[in-house]
Amino acid sequence: MTAIRIIAANTFREALRDRILYLFLGFSIVLLASSKLFGILTVGEQDKIIKDMGLAGIQFFLMLIAVMMSVLLISREIDSKTVYYILAKPVRRWQFLLGKYVGLLATVLVNLFLMSVMLVLFVWLYGGGFDPRLFLATSMIGLEMAVLVAFATLFSVLTKPILGSVFTLAVFVVGHVSQDLWLLTRHLPGSVGRTLVSLLYYVVPNLERFNFKTEVVHQLPIPAAAIGLSLVYGLVFTALLLVLACLKFEGKDLQ
Amino acid sequence: MPEVQLRIENLRKTFHPGLFERAVEVLKGLNLEVERGEIFGFLGPNGAGKTTTIKAITGLVNLDEGEISIGGHAHDSMEAKRLIGFMAENPYLYTYLSGREYLRFSARLLGIEDAEIDDRVEGALGQVSMDRRADQKMRVFSKGMLQRIALAQALLGEPALLILDEPMSGLDPIGRRDVRDIILAQKDQGVTVFFSSHIIPDVETVCDRVATVIDGSVSEIGAVRDLLAREVERYEVTFTGLDPKVLTTPLVSAQMGSDAAWVRVDAGQRDALISELARQRARLVSLTPVRSTLEDLLLRQYEEGAAS
Repeated sequence: MTAIRIIAANTFREALRDRILYLFLGFSIVLLASSKLFGILTVGEQDKIIKDMGLAGIQFFLMLIAVMMSVLLISREIDSKTVYYILAKPVRRWQFLLGKYVGLLATVLVNLFLMSVMLVLFVWLYGGGFDPRLFLATSMIGLEMAVLVAFATLFSVLTKPILGSVFTLAVFVVGHVSQDLWLLTRHLPGSVGRTLVSLLYYVVPNLERFNFKTEVVHQLPIPAAAIGLSLVYGLVFTALLLVLACLKFEGKDLQ
Repeated sequence: MPEVQLRIENLRKTFHPGLFERAVEVLKGLNLEVERGEIFGFLGPNGAGKTTTIKAITGLVNLDEGEISIGGHAHDSMEAKRLIGFMAENPYLYTYLSGREYLRFSARLLGIEDAEIDDRVEGALGQVSMDRRADQKMRVFSKGMLQRIALAQALLGEPALLILDEPMSGLDPIGRRDVRDIILAQKDQGVTVFFSSHIIPDVETVCDRVATVIDGSVSEIGAVRDLLAREVERYEVTFTGLDPKVLTTPLVSAQMGSDAAWVRVDAGQRDALISELARQRARLVSLTPVRSTLEDLLLRQYEEGAAS
C-alpha cells in the first residue's frame, strides 16, 4: 500500500504542477457568466437554473480532466520512460498502475470538492438557500468519474494516448445514452445489429445511473436503494476495469 | 569458488511490433554469470541486445524463455529488486520535480525509513557532485546533470548490484572520470557493477571481466587481459633502403615515408619479414610489438558477426 500511496501523491503533485486546478477557475467563470445570463432570462427559477448549469458544468469539466489527464499522465510515464526507474525498484506493476489511478482520482475529487463548494455558494448567493443535496449529486458525479478514470487507465495501457482519450470520451457519450441503446435493440431489424448494440449496452456502463441532477434540482425524493445500487454498480465496474488494466500492464513489454 | 551475483541462463526474447510487421528475435539464448564484487562490462554493437538484456534483468520486458537470478532470487521478485540499483541509457526523470525532490521520492519507493531519507539523499547527491544544484527543477538541467541525478537514484538504495546502461554517454571528460571513480568506489565497497558502454577505453580501464554480445548471444566472455592475450599479436617494423611494395611477406599494412618505411605484420610473419629484409639488403631500424586493444577485439568480432 505504501508504494501506491507514494505514487498517488506524486501523480497528484504532477497534476497540480500541470496547473490542472486552473480548470476550477474556468468552471467558476462559466458558472458566474451563465448565472448572470440566465438570471436575466428566467424569473423566479434562477436557483434551479444555477443548480442545473452548475451540475452540468461540474460534470463537463471533470470529464475533461478524466479524458485528457488520465490517459496523458499514464501514457507519458510509459512514453517518456520515467516508469523504468519506478519498476526497477521494489514496486509491483499493479501498484504503479493503482498509484496512478488513485492520484488521478484524487485530482478529480479535489476539483470536484472545490467546484461543489463554489456551486453551493452561488446557489446561496442567488437566494436558493443552503442545499446540502447538491453534495449528493456531485458525489454521484465523482463516482461516475471514478468509473471514467478507470476506463482511461485501461485504455492508457491498451493503446496510444490520443486513441485512449477518444475511447474514454466515447464511453462517456455512449454511457449516457445507454438506456436509449437498450430501447434501440427492440426496434432494430436483423439479429446482427441487435446483437452488436446489445453488446455495447452491456460493455459500456450506464452512466445515467449516477445522474441525480433532476431529483436534486427539482427537490424530488431520492430512494436510498437507488443511491446504494449506483454505489455498488460504480464500485464493481471500477474494480473490474482496474483488474483488467493491471492484468494487461503485467504482460506489457516496456520498450 | 566465487559467488554469483547475477546469473542469466538461455535468455530468449522476440518482439512482435505489430500485426503487419515482422517479429524481431533480439535475444537468442544469452548466458552469462557475474561474480559478486566484480565490475563487469557488457559490450556490443547497436541492436545486439544489450539494452534488452538489461531491461529483462530489471523486469521491464518479460522473458520468452530462460531464467535470471539476482543474488539467488528470481529477478522479478521483490527480494531481487531490493538488491539492484538501475540507471537507464538516457536519464528518464520527472522534469517537474527538483533533483532533491526526485531523490526523496525514489528513497520512499525504495522503502528507506523517513529518518534516514535526508542523509541518504545528501550522500547520493554528494557522490555525483550535484548537492549544490539539486533544488532546481530538472527541466532546466543539462543531459549531464540529469545523468548524474539518474546515477544518484541508482546509488540511493545502497545496492548490492549496480546496473548501468551506458552511464558515460552524454558526459564531458570530467563527468566520465567522476562516473569511473564512482564505479571503482562502489567496487571497493563490495558492490557488483554490471554496465554497458560504447566508450571502450573506459571499459578497458575499470572492468574486471567483459562479455561481448553479438546478434543476441554472448560471443566472448572473460577477463580483459585474457581476451586480449588470445588476440593475434602484431609487430611494427621500420626500415630504410627498400620500398615495401616489393616485399613478398604478407603485410597487414604498409606506409612509405621520405626516409623510412613502416609495415605491420602478424606475429607469425615476423621472422619471414626480417629474413626478407636481410636478403633485400634493407636496413632494419626498429621492431616493436603492437598491443591489441579491446577496441580491436570488438571491431574484429563485429566485422565477423556482420559477415556471417
